[in-house]
Amino acid sequence: MDLEVVWLFVQQGVASGLVSGAVYALLALAIVIVYRTTDVANFAQGEIYMAASYLAFFLIVVFAAPILLAIPLTILIVCGGAAVFQRLVLARVASVRGVSVNLVIATLGLSYFLKGMVRFSGFGDAPRSFPSVVPDGALTIGDASLSYLDIVIFVTSLVVMALFFWMFTFTKTGRAMRAVGMNRRAAALVGISLTRVQMQVWACSGGISAIAALLIAPKLLLTVEMGHVATLAFAAAIVGGFTSLPGAVVGGFIIGIAENLVGLFVSSRAIVVTPFVVIMLVLILKPQGLFGGAVRVRKV
Amino acid sequence: MLRAVKLLGCLAGTAMLGVVGTAVAAEPGLTDTTIKIGLFGPMSGPSQAYGQDVMNAAKMYYDKINAEGGINGRKIEVVEEDDRCSPNDLVAAVKKLVEQDQVFILNGGSCSAPVVAAKDYVVRSGVPWVMLNASGDGALYPPQPNIFGALSISQRAVGGSTVEFASKYLGAKKLGYINHDDAYGAWNLEAAGPQAKENGATFLVESVDPKITDVTAPVLKMKAANVDALILTTYAGPAQLILKKAQELHFDKPIIVAVNAIANLKQMVDNVGSKDAFKNVYIQELLMAKPGSEKLGWVYDMYKKAYPDLAAQPGHPQVYMPYGIPPAEVVVKALQAAGRDVTRAKFIDAVEHLNFSSVMAGPIVFTHTEHAAQKASIYFKYDGENLTEVPGVFASRWTYKAD
Repeated sequence: MDLEVVWLFVQQGVASGLVSGAVYALLALAIVIVYRTTDVANFAQGEIYMAASYLAFFLIVVFAAPILLAIPLTILIVCGGAAVFQRLVLARVASVRGVSVNLVIATLGLSYFLKGMVRFSGFGDAPRSFPSVVPDGALTIGDASLSYLDIVIFVTSLVVMALFFWMFTFTKTGRAMRAVGMNRRAAALVGISLTRVQMQVWACSGGISAIAALLIAPKLLLTVEMGHVATLAFAAAIVGGFTSLPGAVVGGFIIGIAENLVGLFVSSRAIVVTPFVVIMLVLILKPQGLFGGAVRVRKV
Repeated sequence: MLRAVKLLGCLAGTAMLGVVGTAVAAEPGLTDTTIKIGLFGPMSGPSQAYGQDVMNAAKMYYDKINAEGGINGRKIEVVEEDDRCSPNDLVAAVKKLVEQDQVFILNGGSCSAPVVAAKDYVVRSGVPWVMLNASGDGALYPPQPNIFGALSISQRAVGGSTVEFASKYLGAKKLGYINHDDAYGAWNLEAAGPQAKENGATFLVESVDPKITDVTAPVLKMKAANVDALILTTYAGPAQLILKKAQELHFDKPIIVAVNAIANLKQMVDNVGSKDAFKNVYIQELLMAKPGSEKLGWVYDMYKKAYPDLAAQPGHPQVYMPYGIPPAEVVVKALQAAGRDVTRAKFIDAVEHLNFSSVMAGPIVFTHTEHAAQKASIYFKYDGENLTEVPGVFASRWTYKAD
């Protein structure tokens, strides 16, 4: 392989990796905020993302809704649906103490329910495309080529992440979420409503998933199995430290770039194992994840 | 005395009936007037489009034969089962057809993995099995005494045929090949690699996960290697992502999309998002001509006559409908050749001597050692709207060699 090709692979691998990494980062963020505030590893994250894509598709195809109406409507419905699920299902399951695994099972139930709903709709049998508001065309940066849609995905993801960090840092709601994430009992003692905050967190998580779905849907194809991308988001969260929000974002970009570079320099066949190799490397070198903070030793 | 004679007579008569009865019952599914065939495929579920109308086509062909007087004095009686393209459902369907319905032969299967799941049971049962449109390489190789198929095409033959087309028609010396990193992909690669070598072409392979979402790496590697043509033998999802990415990365060499990737060309264009991505695309086709064309008109006319209500519905006949004809022809021709005193062994022997032209691109040929029938494809240039037939038929040369 000559140097020119190596340099092309590096540039394109990093550029494309940043785009797919941005989507993994958004989903990882959604996973981490839920885990931090409700102690639930949401195994339905991928299916929420999948269902959001199909919901928007359904609004556009069946109800002939304009795409610019379908997008905010989808985000709102998914936010509401996630909050209702937390209130009606998870809160009840959580009220039975000592069986935290039930929470995970409840999210798995949600994932099967959402897949079933999409299959039942009759739209899930063949891959479908989602209309894009971004015109066709590509931009060349160095030797790397990125479509206008890629650039919109990357920039919008960064904007959503920035808004989310701003909300978490500077708004009352965001600070309440952080307080619940740090110490639930202390947060309740100072008057924060755990019920409300946990619903808000699930709504936020749903909203972020919906945005990720709407960003990536025109680039990929809609299939019932598209939620498997959440596996990569979990990988990103683990690499970042699972409880760290900046870690989730960095982890997303690392996984996205690593996948592309391994695909280009090693083998396309190795793409699928790359996230797990990265996880193993990170866990060996820094078991708490890149941004997981210092290891806490509890003494009895 | 008279009573004793009567009793002996009754016993002798009963014994004779028993002998006659045994002779008829020796081959389950056969009576003096009927031959029972177990027909199965996906009649429901997400893979219904692979089999529902394929089964309908087989049934309408059997009905035609019955209307013409049947086979050697017997009418065909079909027992249908829905396998949903699921290994468990297919195995259950086959067991029911063999053990409960006592069919004479099996005729079914539209999906590869499920038919492979039934292989061991069918071999043990000894019941002859003519597959429908499943490629079924895992059940066909190594050849089994009573299993026949690839009546659309085997995955090995897909690989060989696409390479033949790229080498001979497009004149490609450096071939790019993207397949799946599963058994399906390994099968077509098994024939594609050697055929490329025989044709004197350099062969570059990228195997991808069937659920891949970012195809930058395989496409960019093909572009950087400056291949003369790129062959895609992937499912619909990856194939469409690759076509889209090839356009984004300005890959301007011919791309050959194998038949196992796409069922609906219009949906493919919609999914790729731009007709410009189809400036240099070729589509593999297994039928002798364009679906719905004059050459195949008799099949579509027969379908409209047999299923007027279904034919009036949008989406029918489904794309793979004509694929149901060759398996039914195999069953009918072999039964005819086996004669009035047909047995399962005679039927199997008759199948192994079949060589005929059907609606498929190449001849349907079986031998004692080759139980996969269809080896060839035709190709179309597809510009995103129109299919233009490329002259010629392109066949795989791969043959099974025992270790």
